[in-house]
Amino acid sequence: MTESEPTTGDSVAGPSRPAGRRAFLRGALSAGAAGAAGVAAGYAFARPDASRATAPGDALAAGVEARLPAVPFHGPHQSGILPVPQRQTLVVALNVTAQGRGELLDLFQTLTSRARFLTAGGTPPPVGITGPPSDSGILGPVVVPDGLTITVGVGASLFDDRFGLADRKPAHLTTMLPFPNDNLDPAQCQGDLSLQLSAGSADTVLHALRDIARSTRGGMQVLWRIDGFSSAPRPAGTTPRNLMGFMDGIANPDVKDPGVMSSLVWARPGANGEPAWTARGSYQVIRLIRMFVEFWDRVSLTEQEQMFGRRRDNGAPLDANSEFATPDYADDPEGAVIPLTAHIRLANPRTPQTNSSRILRRAYNYDRGVDAVGNLDMGLIFTCYQQDIKRQFEAVQTRLIGEPLVDYISPFGGGYFFALPGVANASDYYGRAMLA
Amino acid sequence: MGALLALGILSGCGQAPAASAEGVISVTTSACGTGWRHPSAGVQTLQIHNAASSAVEVTLVDAYNGAVYARVDGVGPGTTRAMPVNVGSGAYTFECDGATYGNRTGPTVRVPGHVRGGTAIAPVSTSQMDGAIGQEAAYVTSGLATVARQTAELAALIKAGNLSAARVTWLAAHMSWERLGSAYGMFGPYDDEVDGTPFGLVNGVNNTAFTGFYRLEYGLWHGESAAELSGPANTLALNVRSLVTAYPGMATLPQLALSDLALRTHEVLENAMQQQLSGEDDFGSGTTLATVEAGIDATRAQLGFLHPLLATRYPNLGGLYDWLNRLQDLVDAEKTSRGWTPVGQLSAQQREELDAAAGQTVQLLALIPPMFEADPNS
Repeated sequence: MTESEPTTGDSVAGPSRPAGRRAFLRGALSAGAAGAAGVAAGYAFARPDASRATAPGDALAAGVEARLPAVPFHGPHQSGILPVPQRQTLVVALNVTAQGRGELLDLFQTLTSRARFLTAGGTPPPVGITGPPSDSGILGPVVVPDGLTITVGVGASLFDDRFGLADRKPAHLTTMLPFPNDNLDPAQCQGDLSLQLSAGSADTVLHALRDIARSTRGGMQVLWRIDGFSSAPRPAGTTPRNLMGFMDGIANPDVKDPGVMSSLVWARPGANGEPAWTARGSYQVIRLIRMFVEFWDRVSLTEQEQMFGRRRDNGAPLDANSEFATPDYADDPEGAVIPLTAHIRLANPRTPQTNSSRILRRAYNYDRGVDAVGNLDMGLIFTCYQQDIKRQFEAVQTRLIGEPLVDYISPFGGGYFFALPGVANASDYYGRAMLA
Repeated sequence: MGALLALGILSGCGQAPAASAEGVISVTTSACGTGWRHPSAGVQTLQIHNAASSAVEVTLVDAYNGAVYARVDGVGPGTTRAMPVNVGSGAYTFECDGATYGNRTGPTVRVPGHVRGGTAIAPVSTSQMDGAIGQEAAYVTSGLATVARQTAELAALIKAGNLSAARVTWLAAHMSWERLGSAYGMFGPYDDEVDGTPFGLVNGVNNTAFTGFYRLEYGLWHGESAAELSGPANTLALNVRSLVTAYPGMATLPQLALSDLALRTHEVLENAMQQQLSGEDDFGSGTTLATVEAGIDATRAQLGFLHPLLATRYPNLGGLYDWLNRLQDLVDAEKTSRGWTPVGQLSAQQREELDAAAGQTVQLLALIPPMFEADPNS
């Protein structure tokens, strides 16, 4: 932020700091360079950059027309886990209606072939007079990939007695139980499967959902669904903001560091009874969190910033001047600058003892209408990935019990899932090792 | 004067903030708020840099009467924080406070001309502060005695098996509780013990940690027997008695007590809107509008304690009371000879009118807490 923010004549920058590596990477991720840069196992998506257009009309046209290139579907891990949030997402939880192991296998194979096509794009096959068209057509005659990623997860209920998978359940996979501040609606919790579709545009994810649903109608049914988006970084080059106005997901582990990913994100087969098939998969926690935004907007800025522990304007921890600065809690033992109950301080105390509880946070905003009292229904689709839900998400969430922020939010849905290993090649499919 | 006012408006709207020729406003171990060398009127963002070795709260005040224009809390050593402010002509000074830093006042800075700036809030005198919090403490002490008497009566009725009388007493006792105006954990763990919901508990209403008024409401309106309800009723009466004893020991520093009182003046109806007007906290009795009514009573009482302070600081106190009255009229209209209307039975028009009045009321109440905000570390 210190480097990329244009310095206006009215504001005086704080003491300048050398460009941190993270800040540099962040800038690289969200700069307008074309093409998805595949780095190590993760892909950083370039967002369409309308800022170079000269006239407002050009900018609008660029925003509408820009489509992202394909993200490679085949790989050791599912491709939607590591990248920063895309502009649009859609999360559905589904219950499997397939009967028996054979139909379940069919379901996963169908899901795989649709995902393979949708992420690569292309022309849907003509059907002549043999039936209605094979594609909804909402992306036009040629399906554009638009950076589509598809992340498939399995819930604990898939490992009941229906499919004979009970002995293959991932060791740390449980059903999400309520935390003290939760107000969970059973109709919006859990499911046999989770499916997250993310891309550059809303029509791309909706197209993918309709395609997948029509291909799997008998095998699975939607239990709950929520649509989300990630805001454009404001100002450019910063971490996108949530609907409380604060930057969200600044302090994430480094997805470019395979060592960090293997100690925090990817499952560890063999450890604590973790089955071998889980290799290269990851535990996925989804939490649907309503934000009481009208109430929030009636709270003073000082109170807002002390609840988060960061500045609202530039994302800096309250004890520093720039977004990616590391808060120094040892230097502030009584919370004079960053309160002891601040969200960032409880979530990540940055001690050697709490390092192993870090999570890879991938949150999206949601916005879906108005509640019974006439208040806006919007909030966060909190999603995170980790090696062990109890050691990581639940440890973090336990530290957050009773934080001052709880008055302004209400977690109402979501679930725990295990994001399957990636589909390695053209002959592989989702869950092959699990079903073998 | 007209031309000067127009100038003030021009400099206050739609214009890039004034240039920063004055440089960074600095706080050092020996001086507070130096470096504002060429001050000018207009909307601007002052940059406050803390070069001292401990956290400070920095306040920009009117040098003549101490009225507060802007404040940033908890500015850490080595950090720079933005202080947006609409500067008018006049004399200003910075005040710096910190638990370790101590208290310092900076040099007086004069802004020339005749430009009108933003609104300043007058400081609160110790006697005003003590007056407000003393009145609230007396109100809560007296209200708690009522709740203790009513919850004891409730437990006795349940023990005697008189559940229909218990339902009447439950409502009276619950309204007395809500009239205390607790919010933001005013009573510490007692808030949940006495008035907690089952949300967030595994197995919800069947969890034994679900205690208090809502536990009894659930039982009284879901056909539970006197025998089943005796335990929870005794627990409630006992917890209220313990709170009566504990309450005097919950007193805090006057500045924080005033800050909390101001927060509650907004928060009680905010909570009522979120949990009662929505019907979320209806566990069978359909009396969430009675709870809103009690919340209005609490808010009125709190506004009363703050009245001497608000009369000179709140720009349109009459407008706030107008909306509060309108909300109360709408709520009162739902108390009929058959009891309170459950919110689920409100017509779309009644619902909209209530939501609008409640929403506008909390919007106006929300102006109060920032006027009395205290930094817990100062």
